[in-house]
Amino acid sequence: MGFAQRLLSNFRQPGNIYLLLLCFAGVALYAATGNLSFHAYTMAQWALIYAMVGAVLILDHYSFYLPPEGNVQSMDSSVYLAAMFVFGGSFALFILLISTAVVLVYNRSIKWWKHFVNFSIYTFMINGADFTFNLLGGKTGELNSDHIYAYILSLSVYFIVNVLLLGYYFLLHKGTIYEFIKNILKDTLFAYLSTLLLSLVLVILIVNNGSLGLFLFLAIGMLLSHAFRQLFNMYNAVSEKANTDQRTGLYSHSYFEEKLDEYIAQAREQALPLSLVMIDLDDFKKYNDAFGHPQGDRLLGFFGQQIKSECEPKEFFAARFGGEEFSIIMPGLTQDKAKAFVDSLRKKINDTPFEGVEIFPHGCVSFSAGILELNKETHDKSQLIDWADQALYAAKAKGKNTVLIYGEDSRLPISLENDIHELEQQLKIFLSKDVYTFKHSKRVYSYAVEMAEVLKLGESDRRLLVLGALIHDIGKLEIPRDILNKKSKLTREEWEIVKKHVLWGKEIVLVTGKFKDLVPLVELHHERYDGAGYPHGYKGEEIPRLARMLCIIDSFDAMTTERPYQETKSFMDALLEIRRCSGSQFDPELADQFIRYMEGKLASSLSDVAVAGSEMADVSPNNGG
Amino acid sequence: MVYDGIVIGLLVGFIRAGWRSGLAALSQIRIRGGIVFPILLAIQLIVVLLENRIPFLATSSGYMFMVVYAAGLCVLWLNRNEKGFWWIFAGVALNFLVMLVNGGQMPVSIDAASVLDHKYVEMLQSGTADAKHVAMTDSTRLPFLGDIIPLTPPYPRQQVISVGDVIMNFGIFIFLQKVMMVYKTSTSFVKTK
Repeated sequence: MGFAQRLLSNFRQPGNIYLLLLCFAGVALYAATGNLSFHAYTMAQWALIYAMVGAVLILDHYSFYLPPEGNVQSMDSSVYLAAMFVFGGSFALFILLISTAVVLVYNRSIKWWKHFVNFSIYTFMINGADFTFNLLGGKTGELNSDHIYAYILSLSVYFIVNVLLLGYYFLLHKGTIYEFIKNILKDTLFAYLSTLLLSLVLVILIVNNGSLGLFLFLAIGMLLSHAFRQLFNMYNAVSEKANTDQRTGLYSHSYFEEKLDEYIAQAREQALPLSLVMIDLDDFKKYNDAFGHPQGDRLLGFFGQQIKSECEPKEFFAARFGGEEFSIIMPGLTQDKAKAFVDSLRKKINDTPFEGVEIFPHGCVSFSAGILELNKETHDKSQLIDWADQALYAAKAKGKNTVLIYGEDSRLPISLENDIHELEQQLKIFLSKDVYTFKHSKRVYSYAVEMAEVLKLGESDRRLLVLGALIHDIGKLEIPRDILNKKSKLTREEWEIVKKHVLWGKEIVLVTGKFKDLVPLVELHHERYDGAGYPHGYKGEEIPRLARMLCIIDSFDAMTTERPYQETKSFMDALLEIRRCSGSQFDPELADQFIRYMEGKLASSLSDVAVAGSEMADVSPNNGG
Repeated sequence: MVYDGIVIGLLVGFIRAGWRSGLAALSQIRIRGGIVFPILLAIQLIVVLLENRIPFLATSSGYMFMVVYAAGLCVLWLNRNEKGFWWIFAGVALNFLVMLVNGGQMPVSIDAASVLDHKYVEMLQSGTADAKHVAMTDSTRLPFLGDIIPLTPPYPRQQVISVGDVIMNFGIFIFLQKVMMVYKTSTSFVKTK
């Protein structure tokens, strides 16, 4: 029953049905066009059949491994094609039959049905090539230069039939044919083409020298295969060396960076969680000072091995980030699961004895770690590493041998006041250059303070939004005054310069490492929800949420700011405009919250004003920091 | 033909493994029932040498060979887990099969045998060559398993062999390679058990 059910569920997959049909069709095709009688050939022909079957088997054994992916290419096609050109299609099919039978008996490491599939595919290929060859007037026997087109087209058909039959399987099985095509074009195409052309060389050899020609061909094939294998092994060894850190056996920093990009893309694509942990050995310097560097290296090696043995079975990617810092990428793990894993790793390492651990404060090898789960807010990998690093430092500050998740009391006590003060000093330069930008920044800042309340942001997000709002236009420092204060319409060039302020702002913020985490807000506050913004044209949730929020506030203030010789929108009109652009320029959900909040605020201030009976002209909450 | 695989296997083996470790490895060969092979070989030799003198041997030599083959197959089967022995078994079995269905004698293709001494071909056709071989005719069964593959220059020996011979020698070759390379791949001459 279980077997039947399994069989049934196997057949539900379209790829398997396809293979089954392919097998039947292949066998039927062989029955129709091939030869099943063992008495049809003379003894001399039999000797040749044996030789060719032997050649196919040997070439199959000595396949080519092609770097970098290790795709396998066998030269057996040359033999089939040469047999077909010299003795005809049914002769080639008979060789295929015998060699398949032999392989079926001796190579039992491959599932038996795969041999059938192979047999069928070859049957189709040989028949297709033979049919084309005959159709174009090709004659069996020696290579005839008058019919060279018949040969070439026949080889093409052989290749195309192969690609179609296999490609369709990949399409059914994997849902995409892209990988398959890419593999062919990138790795196997040239080896395949040379196999096809070599078949013509083999035709000449067989016609002129019979078995000796075949033998020469075989020898060349084996030697080439050997050379290719050496090359492949060398490539593997070298890339292995380049990608691993010799001291610890873990992957190297550069390979880590490369793979992190891949993992992020993969996690985004499949909407799976991805966690990253930064690990730092506690008090390693102390150990190094006490026992010397060679012993310190041994500790690193030991630690690396421990990480490796824990990560390998789970298929996590562990790398030595540098010095005594390590990093693990954990695809598929949420931050809580990641913390559980890292904590168990920490416990295990605590419990494993190592020479000289008594000098450590904890009396054992220990590490601190910071975990970050990939989320929509993280828009590039350096930020990801930064955040995990922050959590790591927080863990260090908490007394080491600790694992912390970023965002969960991972931040060191914040002095928001000081930060605000520091950024304000930077802003003051605008007082002389462009007082409007100064005041604009201050107003956006105060909106941000309010919206942080409305959105019920956590402490660290609140800090980000507030500080980001204050500093978001700092890049305008680089824009010439003439452009900033120009009353008429900007030219195209001038507009391009204005657009650059987000990138300049990013550079300015990056100078002081302290505010690195504000970069996304400064850089991306002109991105639009529909992807039509600048500088990158990010779309929807690719833009961090806080940057989307800042964009709304920023636009709102820009619309409602009074400037000489320019039209100013009233608050209500500006809100209407935001509603109109909600979903195109702005995040609809955040825009909705903002509008609701502002409407509520306006209504209450209006009623206040009515009660007080004072002027209604200026209701802008122009209350700077 | 039995010797070709051994000779080539030894030659290549010594080249790959080196004289010293090759010899050391050869001294370590363990084959189950290995003693049977020389005995079988001796029986064959005796039969060939004496069949002209003792009439009983001449009439029953075909069957004697069959018995020898069957015994050999059994020993080979015992060793089937050794690398290469499976091939040797398959080769011998194919030879055995074709001889079995042809009255205990190996059919030789006359076309292929023309590379050999003409005398031998004539003897084959007249049925006086030796007890083991017979000329192939239309009534021969499974002719494609008989001696149909001519070995010609540049191969140093001129012979007609069967596909079973090829498979068997291939097996001997890879068995010897595996055996002789043992110390090349491991570091110590002496096995620590």
